[in-house]
Amino acid sequence: MGPIDGLIYGFSVALTPGNLAACFVGVLVGTIVGVLPGIGPVGAMALLLPSTFALHPATALIMLAGIYYGAMYGGSTTSILVNVPGEAASVVTLLDGYQMTKKGRAGAALTIAAVGSFVAGSVGVVGIVLAAGSLADLAVRFGPPEYFAIALAGLALLSRLSGGSVLHAFLMVAIGLALGTVGMDPISALRRFTFGSVQLSQGIDLVPVIMGLYGVAEILLLIEGGLGKTTIAGIRLLELFPTREEWRRSWAPIARGSVSGFVTGLIPGPAAVLSTFIAYTMEKKVSRTPERFGTGMIEGVAGPEAANNAATAGAMVPLLSLGIPFSPATAILLGALVLHGLQPGPLMISERPEVFWGFVASMYVGNFMLLILNLPLVGVFVSVLRLPQRLLATLVLLLCLVGAYSLNNSVLDLWVLLLFGVFGYGLRKLAVDPSPMVVALVLGPMMEKTLRQSLFLARGSVLELVSRPLTASLLLMGAAALIGPPLLGIWRRRAR
Amino acid sequence: MTERVVALVTLAASGLYLTLALRMPLGTAARPGAAFYPVAVGAFACVVALVSTALAFRRPAGGPADAPESAATERRQVGLAVATLAGFCLLMPWIGYPLAALLFIGALLRELGAAWGVTVLTALLSAEVSYYLFAILLGVTLPRGFWPH
Repeated sequence: MGPIDGLIYGFSVALTPGNLAACFVGVLVGTIVGVLPGIGPVGAMALLLPSTFALHPATALIMLAGIYYGAMYGGSTTSILVNVPGEAASVVTLLDGYQMTKKGRAGAALTIAAVGSFVAGSVGVVGIVLAAGSLADLAVRFGPPEYFAIALAGLALLSRLSGGSVLHAFLMVAIGLALGTVGMDPISALRRFTFGSVQLSQGIDLVPVIMGLYGVAEILLLIEGGLGKTTIAGIRLLELFPTREEWRRSWAPIARGSVSGFVTGLIPGPAAVLSTFIAYTMEKKVSRTPERFGTGMIEGVAGPEAANNAATAGAMVPLLSLGIPFSPATAILLGALVLHGLQPGPLMISERPEVFWGFVASMYVGNFMLLILNLPLVGVFVSVLRLPQRLLATLVLLLCLVGAYSLNNSVLDLWVLLLFGVFGYGLRKLAVDPSPMVVALVLGPMMEKTLRQSLFLARGSVLELVSRPLTASLLLMGAAALIGPPLLGIWRRRAR
Repeated sequence: MTERVVALVTLAASGLYLTLALRMPLGTAARPGAAFYPVAVGAFACVVALVSTALAFRRPAGGPADAPESAATERRQVGLAVATLAGFCLLMPWIGYPLAALLFIGALLRELGAAWGVTVLTALLSAEVSYYLFAILLGVTLPRGFWPH
């Protein structure tokens, strides 16, 4: 099935009533989650995952992905109107977005952000179709050594790109890999690190870990920060339209942000957040008046907002074509696919076209829904912020508890949720990003399986493995990502 | 100081993990056993933890890695929230979800400073609505305990 045929087929799947409804629920929840400080899209996806058990895999994926990119829209709303980023990927938007609000141009900022996100989402859909298909064709030739190498390189790159110290990122990776070894050995069925517990024999479920790290931990931080009230700038519908000059200045940043965001999304790491910083920096560099950035420049809103939406699309490419998630959000999507008995990877496009193409087409539909929803209903979404934060915090915690228990009807999952909630809170206090741990927890079992298969096939010869061209290239990329920047720094210092 | 304590705890945990991993069959390079991968992960963790500990002790105590202190009241509320969560985990299997949820919401809202009327009303509504939503509508098996049907 070619890209055009595939997309047409995908729209026929995405536009069924059930999938439309799922898309709507996903983007609506995502927007609300993006507006609210505290729980982010990853926590919300983890919360809703158990409720997708009864749904068709395509429907589940559509709804969960809707939360992810819906949160990008919602986060920009609070950044612009309230000077509070609802989501980490919206931090950059407030630099100029809130300044525009202070100048009475909040409506223009919101409209440009929404239109930019829609354009970028559309570009992202085209990108997924082109990139995922090509990568899947290449990945069919991958064997266990290549999969191990790409996972290892991905973790190395993630450790370099996640915020903070590389050493802390390595520690997080080590913890994630170690957690992935708890349970039954996949080959010999020997119980490892279970301490006699039958429940631990099943391993540690990803969802309570994510709910704890990104749900409970965020709420604990919210409680610690003091549950105060938020002052909200009012906005009228008539003020929503940008001027001709603002439109003219926005198109180029939207185009640049769409491309740079999509490419950033392909690499492991906090793609959505990184993409906004890259886009903002790029706009400052190409601007004739860079000194005015931070005072209410429309380019400072258009570029980053397009970038973060395009990055969410780019992040889907490794997941859909290789079956490898490089971020916690795509890890949840992988979890959803596995729960529904699907194995994401290069063969999913041909074996389950309704899932792949339906999902891709739904991203376009979802972005269109968000464009329609976000502008007229901006007042409604922002009014969610008026709910007492202590009530929100309590209800979110209750939802986390029910969500964790409902996975396996296991009290162990509740304790995992609590343990990782406290752990995540501690990590935030120490300014350590938990993302590498989450990705390592997901990739760890796959890495072990492919490593052992590789060594078995090569009769224990590591040299035979690394001499495979693709494997060697991927391992070199990972090594370059790790040691390249410090070596470059040393060389520059010596050059001075 | 915090950084040193965390580094030492991480080092101890890595060492324990590696020790437990080494008790399992390692196998050979051509036929890796159950311990092969955990030993590799444990060794990696120990090396990283060692380097991290060395750096933590080289830096002066109370360096830039320590987060700013929050007010005692807010820290107490965080502690109480964690204790309330733990209470829910302990009690729910015995008293059922609806009663546990009611007690959880009530206790947490009071800890966060909500008035008694709001607390009782919210706790009752939340417990009932969430049980109906998850157990009845979504078909999740939640223990009922003593809650009347």
